Amino acid sequence: MKVAIGCDHIVTEIKDHMVEYLKEEGYDVIDVGTYDKVRTHYPIYGRKVGAAVASGEADLGVTICGTGVGITNSVNKVKGIRAALVRDVGTAVYARKHLNANVIGMGGRISGVGLIENIVDAFLEAKYEPTPESEALVAKIDSIPMNDEANTNEHIFDEYNKKWDEGFYHD
Amino acid sequence: MKVIIGADAKGYALKEHLKNYLTDKGYDVVDKTPEKDLDLFESASRVAKAIQQGEGDRGIAIDEYGAGSFMVATKYKGVICAETSDEHSSKMTRSHNNASMITLGSGIVSERLAEGCADAFIENEYAGGRHQVRVDMLNRMC
Repeated sequence: MKVAIGCDHIVTEIKDHMVEYLKEEGYDVIDVGTYDKVRTHYPIYGRKVGAAVASGEADLGVTICGTGVGITNSVNKVKGIRAALVRDVGTAVYARKHLNANVIGMGGRISGVGLIENIVDAFLEAKYEPTPESEALVAKIDSIPMNDEANTNEHIFDEYNKKWDEGFYHD
Repeated sequence: MKVIIGADAKGYALKEHLKNYLTDKGYDVVDKTPEKDLDLFESASRVAKAIQQGEGDRGIAIDEYGAGSFMVATKYKGVICAETSDEHSSKMTRSHNNASMITLGSGIVSERLAEGCADAFIENEYAGGRHQVRVDMLNRMC
């Protein structure tokens, strides 16, 4: 199984730990970054995880940022992605089994690394168990109108990165 | 402060509890799901669309786990949503993400924890500044 994983600069060391953890378990891992602690922006990496999973390059995805909220919003805004943001194993398994979730998100400043390992293991090992009810629900979620620009356009954020570099965004 | 709230069948009781709790605190609470038998697509969509159209300041959507409502809400352009089961995430998502919605799982959080998440989400404001580049990126998507 191939797993795409992404993070922002707040939790790079946790993502790096999970990359090694998953490789030791035998998963093929696509690490989309970020790779260091330099301040960057979570939608860049959420979009990359989403594009990898939606295209079939990866089977499932993992997203981690401080709370998990930002990066898991961005991955869910990629067409074809159904991501859950969790702080417990039960919700992760439910989302995989009953909502056919294909990405699991967590907060690296919210959940400890032991819980993160447990959540990811349980999510990757669970299987979708389609029922007429779950199939209907998934079809409705997938039918919400959205464009697919984030799936293919690697330059979708260029204008914002340019403005960031020019100092437009400041505290 | 106007709070839009909604729930599916399994979130109905917690929604009623939070509605009373927030109303007693003086908030203007709009219940988008008076029915008891909705699915989470319908309930979360009603809250997300109301938020998208500027009908309220904050949205809260409830189902059994919170995960399905989160999947639904984040698919609406301009809606930033946190699936939460702790007060800190509920606070930080206002401060850093400018989230306009949270989702809660009635099977995951207790009444007290749901109150704490709702309080933290409603009482905190967006910090802006450097965080705005990420919010602009999110709003560019879907």
